Amino acid sequence: MIGGGGRADPRGGGAGVRDGADPRGGAGLQGGGTGGRGAPPLPPPLLEVRGLRKHFPVRGGILNRTVARVEAVDDVDLAVRPGEVLGIVGESGCGKSTTARLLMHLIRADAGRVTFDGALVRADDAAGLRELRRQMQMVFQDSYSSLNPRLPIEETIMFGPKVHGVSAEAARERARELFALVGLDPAQFIRRYPHELSGGQRQRVNIARALALEPRLLILDEAVSALDKSVEAQVLNLLLALRRELGLTYIFISHDLDVVQYMSDRVLVMYLGKVVEIGSTADVYERMQHPYTEALLSAMPSMDPDRRIERPPLAGDPPNPINPPPGCRFHTRCRFADDVCRHAEPRLAPAQDAGGGDRRGGEDSEDGAEGRDHLVACHMRAAGSGHGRAPAPVGR
Amino acid sequence: MSAPAIPAAAAPAATAAARRPLVRAEDVTVRFESRDATVQAVNSVSFTLDPGEVLCILGESGSGKSVTLRALMRLLPPRRSRLTGRIEIGGRDVLAMSERALADLRGTEVGMIFQEPMVAFDPVYTVGRQITETIVRHEGAGGPEATRRALDLLERVRIPSPARRLRAYPHELSGGMRQRAMIALALSCRPSLLLADEPTTALDATVQIQILLLLRELQRELGMAVIFVTHDVGVAVEIADRIAVMYGGRFVETGPVRQIMRDPRHPYTQGLLTSTVHGSLRGALLEAIPGSPPDMTRLPEGCAFAPRCRHAEPRCGSSPPPAVDLSPRHMVRCVRAA
Repeated sequence: MIGGGGRADPRGGGAGVRDGADPRGGAGLQGGGTGGRGAPPLPPPLLEVRGLRKHFPVRGGILNRTVARVEAVDDVDLAVRPGEVLGIVGESGCGKSTTARLLMHLIRADAGRVTFDGALVRADDAAGLRELRRQMQMVFQDSYSSLNPRLPIEETIMFGPKVHGVSAEAARERARELFALVGLDPAQFIRRYPHELSGGQRQRVNIARALALEPRLLILDEAVSALDKSVEAQVLNLLLALRRELGLTYIFISHDLDVVQYMSDRVLVMYLGKVVEIGSTADVYERMQHPYTEALLSAMPSMDPDRRIERPPLAGDPPNPINPPPGCRFHTRCRFADDVCRHAEPRLAPAQDAGGGDRRGGEDSEDGAEGRDHLVACHMRAAGSGHGRAPAPVGR
Repeated sequence: MSAPAIPAAAAPAATAAARRPLVRAEDVTVRFESRDATVQAVNSVSFTLDPGEVLCILGESGSGKSVTLRALMRLLPPRRSRLTGRIEIGGRDVLAMSERALADLRGTEVGMIFQEPMVAFDPVYTVGRQITETIVRHEGAGGPEATRRALDLLERVRIPSPARRLRAYPHELSGGMRQRAMIALALSCRPSLLLADEPTTALDATVQIQILLLLRELQRELGMAVIFVTHDVGVAVEIADRIAVMYGGRFVETGPVRQIMRDPRHPYTQGLLTSTVHGSLRGALLEAIPGSPPDMTRLPEGCAFAPRCRHAEPRCGSSPPPAVDLSPRHMVRCVRAA
């Protein structure tokens, strides 16, 4: 184990194949994720990514040459701690889904270093990737696409474990447990086909399928976005209950800011392939530092007929991710844009108040006090960046 | 192909319609019939809409909200659907209209916008050509006059560099721009009624609010009535004067937006509001509605919501609950409200 400290993960040092009894059995390892902010040493991240990058070439012309690039994900760093829910928000084309697929190694990154449970993941190590995908599973928005329409859902759920060497008998037993776990009566549902289920039920099956290999991390990519509100609430409740019972870690991707706020311990905001802000949910939603985050949040409907939004926070559409603007990618829509924003790219750094105060200790500080892990990529928040509104550099 | 005499369509709006409702729907019922099942998509929907009023039909997928909207303009597939009841727009009987009179009504008195702008535009003609064509066809304006009006419309919906966009093809515009262009197209003949079917659902949050604000502003300026279909409570609250909540093909509750948000009386409306996540306490359990929406081919005899309702009683199952008027403008279909 890495890091020592009282919050050691009872699931042991990672990649070993576990069979037999589920060692997670509801142990109290949840503390780290929810209530434990402020408690000393944080556990090392379960998943950590540095410099993740994916540029898709755009081909055209007679010779089918690369004429442009979509910088879908550009230099993204993120870390997910065991037991927490990391929300990722952003508008279409911001790279949130591409990030998810890169983390799962469903598509190959151009650059970047992924470590899972302290071990480096190598893109060319097939066995390693198989093991990674066992520990890390994904649920997609389209509940149909990850279920085989010709198989009873039971068979779909048994498929993964069987591939990983579990006997048919044991896999069937496991499938029944999983159905019960996601709130579907096995006796009633197990022989049904995907088209015989409602959208909410299919998404429950997808969650069961994702859990079949006893993963530690679930990536939920717009997993509730296609559901009706009344059913969405059921699935969100289920996800929170499963996290509590199984000690799961989630990356929760959504365009719905309300849902992300509800689900997440920490939130990462993306814009055109870049991380613009990351911090605890309270920091991002209540003490947001990036003008884009602010615009995004003030575009949320008020739900109060007497407090309707009177002025749109932003004009125009998000720019095309093909050949994004130089400098800060948000400068074309930002009302605070200054000269520096048009040519220099802001670095993701601890947020500094306009008063010059430093809102944190150090980037690697393990002390989770409020604001310490709040990072923002904006010249306006960086002392001495040259932005007219930036705080004055503080001599140290 | 029979085209009976077109009723005196020339001056309906000017004289009589001063205080009459613009839209009057009575017992509108839609069935989709196939060999093995009948979908009871819309069941006895009745409402009126005043000139200049914004009504949101709020419901989940399959609740019949879009079908209701399409029924108003007889836009349902004629062979597979059966539409009964009575629909009046501007005092004219829509169900009795000839196809030609209907086509005239669609372009002039009633404008329509959809979730997917590409269904409103023909991909092989420029945006400008399609807007001017509409103006020429419905108002008999000359070419230059129509072009000037089209340019004016694009400016009005705040499309940057409108002259250039007039020459653009629909696919050359971004999602938000296309939505704006579709609004311009719908407004090209100054309709008194705009039908909007989830026009902001596919848009990003920051674009959605721009389009909603634009619609609100245009509605006020032009004094249009709007029927806006959405599944999103937040969107409805931003735009509606009145909300009609739809479930199982019925209006289960209608009332002014404040009333619906502050004092919802139908258990489904209440459940919809509590299960919509909004600034909720993180980690607290959401009050979800159990179960799933009804199968529209096998709607229960009585209240369609009864199987999911925690207040359900035996009498809920016997016959559809009557409409109870809590006040002249607040209606709820629930036996408990009577």
